[in-house]
Amino acid sequence: MLLPLSWLREFVPFAGTAEELADRLTMLGLEVEEVRDPFAHLAPVVTGRVVECRPHPGADHLFLCRVDVGGPEVLPIVCGAPNVAAGQVVPVAPVGTTLPGGLTIQKAKIRGEVSLGMICSERELGLGEAHGGILVLDAGLAPGLSLPHALGLEREVLDVSITPNRADCLSILGLARETAAAFGLPLQLPTVLVEEAGAPWSLAVTVEAEVCPLYQARLIRGLRPVPSPPWMRYRLMACGMRPHNAVVDVTNYVLLETGQPLHAFDAHRLRGEVIRAARTQQAMDFVTLDGQTRRLLPGDILIWDGEGPVAVAGVMGGQNAEVSEATTTVLLESAVFAPLVVRQTARRLGIASEAAYRFERGVDPVGNSWAMNRAAALLAELAGGTIAPGVAKAEPRPYTERTVRFRPARVAEVLGVDPGETFARTTLVALGCAVRQEAEDWAVTLPSWRLDLEREIDLVEEVARFFGMDRLPAILPLVPRSLEDLAQADTSFAETSAVKAWGRSVGLLEAVNYSFVSAADMARCGLPLEGAVRVANPLSEDMEVLRTDLVPGMLRALRTSIAGGTTRVRLFEISRVFSRDATSETGVAEALRLGILLHGARFPERAPYPRGEAGFADIKGLVEHLFQHLGLGGCRWRAQSVRPYLAQQAEVILDGGCAGAVGCIRPELADAYEARGPVWYADIDLETVLRLARQTRRQFVPLPRFPVVRRDVTLRLGWETSVDALLDTIAAMDESLVDEYFVLDVYEPGEGMVRHVTLRVVYRHPERTLKDKEVDKVHGRIVAHLLRQLPVQVV
Amino acid sequence: MKRELVAQLERLVPRFDEMLAQAAAPEELEAARVAFLGRKGELAALMARMGELAVDDRPEVGRVANAVKAKLTELWQQAQQRMLPRPEGAYFDAGEPGWVPDVGALHPTTLIQQEICAVLQRLGFETVSGPEVETDFHNFEALNLPPGHPARDMQDTLYITERILLRTHTSPMQVRTMLARRPPLAIIAPGKVYRRDSDLTHTPMFHQIEGLLVDRHVTMAQLRGVLTALVQAIFGPSTRVRFRPSFFPFTEPSAEVDMSCVLCTGRGVLESGELCRVCKGTGWVEILGCGMVDPAVFAQVGIDAAVWSGFAFGLGVERIAMLKYGIGDLRLFFENDTRFVRQFA
Repeated sequence: MLLPLSWLREFVPFAGTAEELADRLTMLGLEVEEVRDPFAHLAPVVTGRVVECRPHPGADHLFLCRVDVGGPEVLPIVCGAPNVAAGQVVPVAPVGTTLPGGLTIQKAKIRGEVSLGMICSERELGLGEAHGGILVLDAGLAPGLSLPHALGLEREVLDVSITPNRADCLSILGLARETAAAFGLPLQLPTVLVEEAGAPWSLAVTVEAEVCPLYQARLIRGLRPVPSPPWMRYRLMACGMRPHNAVVDVTNYVLLETGQPLHAFDAHRLRGEVIRAARTQQAMDFVTLDGQTRRLLPGDILIWDGEGPVAVAGVMGGQNAEVSEATTTVLLESAVFAPLVVRQTARRLGIASEAAYRFERGVDPVGNSWAMNRAAALLAELAGGTIAPGVAKAEPRPYTERTVRFRPARVAEVLGVDPGETFARTTLVALGCAVRQEAEDWAVTLPSWRLDLEREIDLVEEVARFFGMDRLPAILPLVPRSLEDLAQADTSFAETSAVKAWGRSVGLLEAVNYSFVSAADMARCGLPLEGAVRVANPLSEDMEVLRTDLVPGMLRALRTSIAGGTTRVRLFEISRVFSRDATSETGVAEALRLGILLHGARFPERAPYPRGEAGFADIKGLVEHLFQHLGLGGCRWRAQSVRPYLAQQAEVILDGGCAGAVGCIRPELADAYEARGPVWYADIDLETVLRLARQTRRQFVPLPRFPVVRRDVTLRLGWETSVDALLDTIAAMDESLVDEYFVLDVYEPGEGMVRHVTLRVVYRHPERTLKDKEVDKVHGRIVAHLLRQLPVQVV
Repeated sequence: MKRELVAQLERLVPRFDEMLAQAAAPEELEAARVAFLGRKGELAALMARMGELAVDDRPEVGRVANAVKAKLTELWQQAQQRMLPRPEGAYFDAGEPGWVPDVGALHPTTLIQQEICAVLQRLGFETVSGPEVETDFHNFEALNLPPGHPARDMQDTLYITERILLRTHTSPMQVRTMLARRPPLAIIAPGKVYRRDSDLTHTPMFHQIEGLLVDRHVTMAQLRGVLTALVQAIFGPSTRVRFRPSFFPFTEPSAEVDMSCVLCTGRGVLESGELCRVCKGTGWVEILGCGMVDPAVFAQVGIDAAVWSGFAFGLGVERIAMLKYGIGDLRLFFENDTRFVRQFA
């Protein structure tokens, strides 16, 4: 809401500065975004007196003027306007001025004559449509005055951000009420004199009570097709509205002033002496006054004359009864429409009109009459109209006063500080409430314009607003805790944080990608759309599906990082993925996933690190590190194709179930994201992992007292046999003296050649020191078993 | 013959020692080495005479020659060390790069969420979570935002179906907690939220943290206490907090909270005299919305507003991160350029 300070001052004698007002309103919850000067661009334009004006010797329609602009020198200006004459006071744009149309005035020579400025028309100044000649100002104005000052234009306009509950403040009047209450000033309404005259008229008004509790209208005859006066036009412009003609401007002016939207129909274009406000029963096309054909649906409220619709109620009038240059008689409508229906219709039609904006937030049902009369009086005054006697009216649901019980002690209970009963009473009265003592409590009658006030707590807020919420002390509460709270504790944030801390500790960078992806991203990764959740109204195609896997986002992050010049990328993300699930309350299942992506060198490419690319061992190792970090027992790996976007992949099994997959992003997919070499990726089902981690109990085992004996064996192992098979075979033997065993070394003489795998078996007896002979016996048994069970040879 | 040769060999040791002792420069040391240990030096010359000995005598003299050679070599090495005294731990350069394990980093939104949750947990609040895909009831209706309420315009919503949506704020977690448990309650709920909005200052996904306290006799002054503690814990004890009335359908009274600007420390102008771009010269930046739980919300979740009262607040994580770390561009948060995230190690 734009609030010109001078307009406000017509309603309340506020003598302070715009900044003082802005600060106070902001601290009342009416946040002032800025104080602006809507005509700042006209400040360089000055008043000038034409001291001499003679025809240009070299051109028929040009004049040579000498203009006194208050400076030491009289400016020579060539002017082409037919109405320029000596003695006039005119607006002069000196050299260097940029006019609203974008034209910058320069020193010029026009047909051989020097011109140092431009005498402007109304249109050139952006102040109106007139361009038949220059704007001639009041001859009494001194030369050299800045034009906004000379014309009395609004210089200080507050841009006030109005929260959706404060429909009353979508008007000068509403903001004046707040100002008056805040500064203890009286509210002064302009006098409205409705002088009715002329022949009686009649109009039968019928309304549907549910959607139109009040409809009234006045008839104004004998209007002249005149523009509204400059002061009104300038005010409308200062409020961001474009002036049209007196009739339209007056309705807009009163809308801004009172917050009551008004509509003027050309009365001669209305058919039959009836007006009806009712919902349409059937869909139809209707041309609104902006010339657009609108599809109306059953339920939309329309204003009907004797033959058909003439307006979309509260949203926009129809072209068929629009006022024009030819209009002499208008029917001035002032009504109250159901907020919800107006909102639905306006949204569906995509019309964000000032009227709809106010109706959908609620208008003052009592102030309605004042607004209508104010507009009628202005039409009579400014456009020569005559107000016909009487008002056509239907009010099936007259406004009844609302009274709320108020316990003054509630204020201190809610706020934690007591502004005092006197303060509370003064504030409520200043806001237009009537306060009546009833035993301990107050009966507070609410003002008709404050439809947002309904309950005691709303009044507490009013007292708090005027007391100043910034005056509340800061007190720490004693937060209650119960054993139940601790037992029910939601651990997901702590658990996720712990895994994130792990990621950080192993040198990964955390990514946070959007939860939505494009269908194309999904397809590129081979992820099925079936079972995925679609956004019904996505912002763009890029964001139409809720991700079922973290990989598309991680690949995007990879591409961004590579584009940023990073060659070594190590990322992780912990986020939810989504899938359709009919059993869920929302129809959507959400599951926590961990994605890890490695690309480029294993170590930073500098001293003292060895060279080499990250490989399967790196990504697999990170996953095993995580599991060990979480206290989970051994995981198993199974080479299996489980993710469509991975090649060379393996599934990781924890506690007998799949806990994720690890592998290399398919090369053509990696290429699509501009990777330069293999991209290693792990997709971990964090729900499962965390569930298992929660079940893990750490258990102490007494430290062994006797020394170990180590034996190594090196075996030739083809690619058809997994190293895992060696370990599994030893495990299956369940030899009691075996303490642990692991792969000591893998030697690959050349790409694809048979590997030499050295196993180390560590032996220990819990109760005595082992003899070499016993160890040799067991070790020999193990090696023999390996040779028998697997296609391996001792090197 | 044998005895003479042995004696000559053994005399080499004191003579060499003396010569080394007199050497004052590395060149002189080297000259001594050449004279005794060189190919044409004295030791070599004596050893050449071994052939003149009887075959039986040769092993004994050979052993002596070897011992002498070892002794001479040792003396020379000692002399060399004396000549070039080295500190303990020679061949050491602390300037060579160390083996630094990769330094990981958490996303700034995670850092801020963890920091805020840690502060509030210390004050007794418990962290809870909830679904990101929500019902209209939990996200709007239970929060006093019935269908068609103009305040729904404040949050442009991404829908899955007519009644299922991506949560537009973390407030539905309030509703879920109040439905599931009985007061007193003290919770915080961090998480992702979604709006149908994308421009320089809005991303369709961002993070919020919701706080809720429900107890007997909760006051707005306590709300101010908790938020002051929170803001000062994050931005420093000299940060000032301002409460300004505002409107949210689910709180009444409602307030917007500003804090003194981090860049200009609330003065509105910078040292250079320029208008502060962070607070646009006002000295204050808006950081969160809050208020006392609206009785209508209590009614929706079956809590008796005559007995219980409460406060709630919600803050935008990215906004706090931008102010705290001086990040100027919101879009950087979700591009995940390695160079961005790395800065938060």
